[in-house]
Amino acid sequence: MLCQNCKRNEANVHMKRIINASATEVHLCEDCARALGYGDAFSGFGLGLGDLFGNLISHSSVFSGTNAVRCPMCGNGFNDIAESGRLGCAECFDTFYDKLLPSIERIHGNNKHVGKRIVKGTDNSDYLREEEDLQAELEKAVREQNFELAAELRDKIKQREKEKTEEHNKREDK
Amino acid sequence: MDSKWYLGTGAQSDVVISTRIRFARNIKEFAFPAKLSVPERIRVNNILEKAILSCKEFDFRFIEMKTMSQLQAVSLAERHLVSPEFASSCDGRALIITEDESVSIMLCEEDHIRLQVMKAGLSLDEAFKVADGIDDAIGAKLNYAFDDRIGFLTQYPTNLGTGMRASVMLHLPALTAMGQIQRLISTVSKLGLSIGGSYGEFTHAKGDLYQLSNRITLGISEKVAIENLKSIALQIAAQERAAREELSKSKETEDKIHRAYGILKHARLLGIDEFMKCISLIRLGAVQNILKADDALISKLMVDMQPATISISVERPLDDKARDELRAQLVRESLS
Repeated sequence: MLCQNCKRNEANVHMKRIINASATEVHLCEDCARALGYGDAFSGFGLGLGDLFGNLISHSSVFSGTNAVRCPMCGNGFNDIAESGRLGCAECFDTFYDKLLPSIERIHGNNKHVGKRIVKGTDNSDYLREEEDLQAELEKAVREQNFELAAELRDKIKQREKEKTEEHNKREDK
Repeated sequence: MDSKWYLGTGAQSDVVISTRIRFARNIKEFAFPAKLSVPERIRVNNILEKAILSCKEFDFRFIEMKTMSQLQAVSLAERHLVSPEFASSCDGRALIITEDESVSIMLCEEDHIRLQVMKAGLSLDEAFKVADGIDDAIGAKLNYAFDDRIGFLTQYPTNLGTGMRASVMLHLPALTAMGQIQRLISTVSKLGLSIGGSYGEFTHAKGDLYQLSNRITLGISEKVAIENLKSIALQIAAQERAAREELSKSKETEDKIHRAYGILKHARLLGIDEFMKCISLIRLGAVQNILKADDALISKLMVDMQPATISISVERPLDDKARDELRAQLVRESLS
């Protein structure tokens, strides 16, 4: 895609702006982005950052861009991260920790977290489990061709969704 | 609409319009939103909804973004309830807000959870306290993605660590008029902060409104980041006040302010840029006692006259000209 401003260079800064009541995508080359005052790319809360963080990683000679190792949770290779500038999931940090650390240090000037921590050793996955359990049971029932149970479970899931919609509507009415 | 947080005033409100604390959080069991399909994001949103709405101490309301029109979504961004990016694509996204709109939680934006708390004026400690409390409550129901070494894990490495972005919205008409903003931008960036337009770092400042926020999230505690931001905000406010005093001495400034008032009072077509320029001068004039204007009314107009927000206030669809006409009419009526 060409830069919307100079229409000559490849656009590699992409961002979303609100212009006259509608969200518009802006695609610029780095020179135009700078000239138009879009400022320091690392100051955003993610906006348009992808490319630039990607550049920061991939231009760094420390890394050989490769997808040989993949994140066990989301399947990202290091190359995918370098290209998009984004991590795929929490596991990516563990998988590519050593490779990521220099870039993280360059962004923050630091590599050690201080501040709020979460309480270790507690598991708060009740909400997840409750939802997962029904789905898993349903899948198991289907696999085992226990269609009576499957129908029952499907009804239960439907009922729960219905309750939720009603709850929504009630809230909307309020 | 009369109980919204932005109609109140707070400390330093002659310069500091509002304060915002934002936390980025993710749930460890799921890939980050960009890696999820729309149905997967909806599933995550449903789980988050259940967990967050079970925090009964807050009066939360859940909205699926898909149920909103594009104008309604953009209006949320104009009111700073969601990011422009969030409003631009509603698929698989949801929002949780409180009645007074001071707390909003974007679900499946860049991260699973983007919690934000807004307060009028300079109110960093108070806003942080509220955000921290909600964060604790949510964190007790879900497993946050967290690493002992690098803190809260976020899709973009720029938010790692505390995952906290604290910001204040500043009204800087005098420093802008004196051409001091560029200098300010380079000074604050050396201090680990950034300054940009009111709708984010990459936007141009309309109405001389600027957002000042912390940039570093790793290796600095929430408390220290907030203290830094507060101290820089206070210094900028002091500079702005000095610049205002200087500007106010001239007849030209007084003339400009009264002309702006004249335009708002009599215009028949009022575009958003011209409106923001004028209302900024009126705000300056009111603070400097050059003319009389109601603080709360100015704040309300600055929000209500934004293009999408004004468009959804009427039933019929508006083209650009009709919108400018309606804006002119509403501003005239509210000033008389």
